[in-house]
Amino acid sequence: MTVPSTDKTIRISNVCKSYGDYEVLKNVDAEVARGEVVVICGPSGSGKSTLIRTVNRLEEISSGSITLDGQDIHAATKTSELNLLRSRVGFVFQSFNLFPHLSVLENVTISPIRVKGVAPNVARDKALTLLERVGLSDKAGAYPGQLSGGQQQRVAIARALAMEPPVMLFDEPTSALDPEMVGEVLSVMKGLAAEGMTMLCVTHEMGFAREVADRIWFIDAGQILEKATPEEFFNTPRHPRAQRFLADLRH
Amino acid sequence: MSGFDLSAILSNPEYVGMLVHGLQMTFIIFFGSWSLAMTLALILLCIRFSPFRFGDRIVAAYVSYHRNVPTLVQLMLWYFGIFTLLPSGLSGWLIDHNAEAIFAIVGLGLCQAAYFSEDLRSGLRSVNPGQMEAAKALGHGYLSSMRFIIMPQGARNALPPLINHSVSLFKNSSLALVIGASELTHAVKEIENLSFQTFEIYLVGTVLYLVISLLIMAVGAYLSMRLDPAWRARA
Amino acid sequence: MIGDMITIVHDYWLLLLIGQYPNGPLGGLANTIILSALAIAFAFPVSILMALARLSKWRALRWPVTGLVYVTRGVPLLMLILWAYFLIPLWTGADVPSFMIMLVTLVFYQGAFLSEVVRAGIVALGAGQMDAARALGHSYLGAMRFIILPQALYNMIPSMISTFVATIKDTTLGYVINVPDLTFAASQVNNQLLTQPFQVFLILAIVYYAICWSLTYLANTIERRIAKRRAGVVSRPQHAVMTQAKIITEQP
Repeated sequence: MTVPSTDKTIRISNVCKSYGDYEVLKNVDAEVARGEVVVICGPSGSGKSTLIRTVNRLEEISSGSITLDGQDIHAATKTSELNLLRSRVGFVFQSFNLFPHLSVLENVTISPIRVKGVAPNVARDKALTLLERVGLSDKAGAYPGQLSGGQQQRVAIARALAMEPPVMLFDEPTSALDPEMVGEVLSVMKGLAAEGMTMLCVTHEMGFAREVADRIWFIDAGQILEKATPEEFFNTPRHPRAQRFLADLRH
Repeated sequence: MSGFDLSAILSNPEYVGMLVHGLQMTFIIFFGSWSLAMTLALILLCIRFSPFRFGDRIVAAYVSYHRNVPTLVQLMLWYFGIFTLLPSGLSGWLIDHNAEAIFAIVGLGLCQAAYFSEDLRSGLRSVNPGQMEAAKALGHGYLSSMRFIIMPQGARNALPPLINHSVSLFKNSSLALVIGASELTHAVKEIENLSFQTFEIYLVGTVLYLVISLLIMAVGAYLSMRLDPAWRARA
Repeated sequence: MIGDMITIVHDYWLLLLIGQYPNGPLGGLANTIILSALAIAFAFPVSILMALARLSKWRALRWPVTGLVYVTRGVPLLMLILWAYFLIPLWTGADVPSFMIMLVTLVFYQGAFLSEVVRAGIVALGAGQMDAARALGHSYLGAMRFIILPQALYNMIPSMISTFVATIKDTTLGYVINVPDLTFAASQVNNQLLTQPFQVFLILAIVYYAICWSLTYLANTIERRIAKRRAGVVSRPQHAVMTQAKIITEQP
């Protein structure tokens, strides 16, 4: 955990989102500083997945703005502008979503080559370095169908890192994994945090949050009810629903 | 009835010649209509996904017509019906250039295009929506996502029904008999009339159709295997 | 053009509907429907028997039937009709009407295609159902009759209807052996008129379209209702298998 600078990388201002009459997000206001690791937690149905998906505009918002280094991603009207902004935000899915028809190496290289125009041999070298970093350099020629869940998720992280984003978003990265594979993915994420990556994670892994997070946002029913450091949150939660959430977790 | 005597057919050069000619015509009809059908199916797919407002409905109507009207009736409409509406110059040219085969190719090709386009469409739809999300999250635009991520997977998904419908198309070439094309079944009937060895010639015809159908299925299975990621990983 | 077609329908509707009856055998649209309905009615039990044979333990039963199904899938229906036209009068020694020959061929043909659907449906239920039935003491056939088949066949109803549609389309091939159906009636009308073949065959196409489209719509509605009832009761993989089975058995 590095000391976060005062530079605000992600600024979520007054964001609301509704599906018809149902309000999913209500007046969400939050900021992530450069180098900060923020964990979003809350009960299911609270809107945490929806919130993180609005940050790279996989979900639209009804009102408000979300800026990445000053540029509002929801105001972008040209698709080229949107694609550019998206390529600067890494996203790791709960269900990995690796491309099954491409090998592991191709999964990691295809986007730098086709989206950013990186030369194939440069992309390849970078990909092998990243795969080494997540501990899967020997699987470069394998296909996603041959890998375990934990291995697939690590490849997914490498794939996102290949675009060299300043920010990484994680949407419940370990929720679909068997328990024995959760550790390998979390250790990759801890390594990223130690290197100073700006990270926003939705997760149930409270041990990870306690160890690595700079701040925790507790969300319920579409509103961020508490923003606190891990010590404050786990020891002295202020909001009653946060207290109830932590009490439920302990069982 | 004389005993089973296959050689009477197979060693008779006239009969073998008729069979070969019939096979040739069957292949011409099959390959011609298959190419037409696949090309048209891709065009229909593009129309369906285009921003043109009525594209979806036009394609749906096309598919609906060709799937609900019997193939034989479609061929009859073309050959007995539309043929008579053509200007005399065109119909004269067609008569000189094997009109029966041409109409068979056109009729079967247009019909099968409906089935192929639906196979391709359902192949695309069965691609996990998470794939598009992952592509978008990495910054791929619509065309880039389609070209490198969605289409390759959609094509693989569409392969089994495409192969099945290709075999159906091959079998449907026999319908050209009714509009007078001299394809394999026609040849079989002609030989029957000449030789009276119905059982033997029917057997030859059946075996020929069966072998070629199995060949088409084998080619399809080979393609399926080649495109299968797990197989490619072995190499 | 439209006026011509209306005139044709007005003049010949009776011929198109019931053929030469009473001056000849029943024909036209009525005969098409009767032929298709009888074919599907008989093909249904035939398909179940074929499916059970293909799933049975005895190779003597499994292999011939599997071979037969593969042959049926690989040979054009036209060829099968020619075979039947030749063999059936030979075996029965009698003068069999073309209607009967067509009926037998269709029962066999559709039975083979349907047996694939039944087989896939039974397999999709999973071995667990049979295990549970046997554990409760049912015999193999008893389990099939009371547990497996009712479930598999209920899921098969949309496929049955689409097979009915395919059968209606296949009856047109009876034309080559002069089965007095709707297509035959239309060609008779054409031979009388001689000057308006396009209009006659367009009418033919429209009638078939109307019938088949309505039946397909019915099949889709029933399938939606079945899918709703199935959601949450039976495991999901079945739906994917049923879709595949439909694709395999679908006949242009």
